[in-house]
Amino acid sequence: MKDKERYAELRGEEMKIDFFDLVKRVDVEKMGDFIRYDREKCNGCGLCAMVCSFNLWTVKAGRAKLAARYQELCLECGACWEICEQEAIDFSYPRGGTGVVIEYG
Amino acid sequence: MEKWDVVVVGAGPGGSYAAKTAAELGLKTVFFERGRSPGDKNASGCGLGQRWWRDFPDIMEKLQGLPSVRKVEMVVINLLDEHDRLRYRCGTTGSDLCASRWPHGMDGISIYRRDLDPFLAGLATAAGAELRTSTLVNDVVMENGVVRGVRTDSGETHLAEVVIAADGAVSTMARRSGLRNRWGGGCTLVPQLDFSADEEKMDLIIGNAEWVWFGPLYGTYQVNFRDGFHIGCGQWLRSDWDEKPLDMIRDVVRMKPFQDMCKAIGAKPREYQAHLLPWLKKPSKTYTGGMMLVGDAAGFPCPLEAEGVWHALMSGRIAAETAAWAISRGDVSERALAEYERRWKASDLGKEHEFGPEFVDLWNSTVFDPRLMTRQIQLLLEVSMLHPFSIVFDWGDAHMDCFNQHLEHLLDLAPEFADFGRRYIKPLARGIWPKNVKRVLLQAKERIPLVRRMPDAAYFRLVARLFRGLAPYLDPDLKQDAPVPRELFQREVG
Repeated sequence: MKDKERYAELRGEEMKIDFFDLVKRVDVEKMGDFIRYDREKCNGCGLCAMVCSFNLWTVKAGRAKLAARYQELCLECGACWEICEQEAIDFSYPRGGTGVVIEYG
Repeated sequence: MEKWDVVVVGAGPGGSYAAKTAAELGLKTVFFERGRSPGDKNASGCGLGQRWWRDFPDIMEKLQGLPSVRKVEMVVINLLDEHDRLRYRCGTTGSDLCASRWPHGMDGISIYRRDLDPFLAGLATAAGAELRTSTLVNDVVMENGVVRGVRTDSGETHLAEVVIAADGAVSTMARRSGLRNRWGGGCTLVPQLDFSADEEKMDLIIGNAEWVWFGPLYGTYQVNFRDGFHIGCGQWLRSDWDEKPLDMIRDVVRMKPFQDMCKAIGAKPREYQAHLLPWLKKPSKTYTGGMMLVGDAAGFPCPLEAEGVWHALMSGRIAAETAAWAISRGDVSERALAEYERRWKASDLGKEHEFGPEFVDLWNSTVFDPRLMTRQIQLLLEVSMLHPFSIVFDWGDAHMDCFNQHLEHLLDLAPEFADFGRRYIKPLARGIWPKNVKRVLLQAKERIPLVRRMPDAAYFRLVARLFRGLAPYLDPDLKQDAPVPRELFQREVG
């Protein structure tokens, strides 16, 4: 477990970062359903919630739940698919020409 | 339905270079990009090292003029302790040997994929390959277990003699063809935060350098571009993952030394990105009937530092050459395409992966182990205190007394690293060339009266009998400038 105790005087000021504003997307409504989730296979381990770069997964009542309008926030990395040992999550890419546009990658 | 000699899925560096090579070999080639243009979907550290001058000199020459380029002549390492205090900063420009090895000196470059990817795709289209953008390839066409083509999200079918899958770590092609499913522990996730910055201040304060920040609780690389930089964190995607990516990034930007640097160069957050990065002990299976995997899709990134763009180009080239060879023989079966693996294993790409398991284990056990990392920083500080330039920092006693006190502290710390050395450093000793071991032994021989007159061969036999750990290096049949074979080393040294 990580020791989060730090010397207060050595801590920098909290840098205000609005992560939502730092991602550009196009044609979000045309992206399609590119993350498929099989509730039956889920064992509620919560790893998908732990690795998601935009906190789009939550665990409620022993099952994972994906944010309803995940297309508006997803970074299309595929980490939720890769981490899920139950293979309850299938990730493909959004439709061609839609979704995240990386300008400084 | 359209028919091609070669269909390439993905217009990243691997896909574009495969398409370029295939087109140059006279094959009718198409390559697909899911973004509106190449580079739309890609983020990476993208440091192109000196080997680019060796293997792709024409490309490297032309890249120099692109907008985001910053040269890399130095690496600056910042080490922080468990309380976020900056304890150690050093920079290296490489030795004279590094500089003499390349006609362009030590210059590598950092470049945004926004610049690199369209440039490489342009080489492929100039060679005659056709590029289709805004097109997601989402399925393979299979026949008797052999890949015969692909399907796109607009419902088109494209048949091909050979499909080259360059569709990244998530590779839909690898999954739909049954070649692979999840990586299962070998893949990392890299959240990245890009910053804009003042170019002139970056020149003065950052210089032509890559930076890294390491502490016991986190580590990040800082890739510096012309007027900005990005930091990337991450970990292997395994069940021991213990911090959310957003918090990892916040941890780094909260460090006071990092914020001081941001203030000095006028840095402001600009773009948030995340991507998977396979960082494997060895690449996955890279071929099946009718299809080869290149770049990240195959798991080619370097097992030591996880750079993968050079590897993508190399594998793209070898895959396209293998495709031409297989098509000319009229056999693209799995058995025929095994030639691809033979070729990349025999190339510099294969050499890179010779120590894959050892390199990955070393990373896992050092910077990703908070307890060891804490002690390592203490050890490194003591080692640095023995340096003649460093001793001025401690004038608590007479210089020779200070020296001995630091030496004592170093010796106190050292035993903790014995187990680490045995487990992670010893296996790497296999890579020391036999001729270098012999040189050390011959230099010792000159200073030992008892053996000075002995013939070299007899002396080596004696050493091998007395010190079993050296025996593998002294086998007279070994290649002198290559690692000791794994089996021989393990049998003799363990």
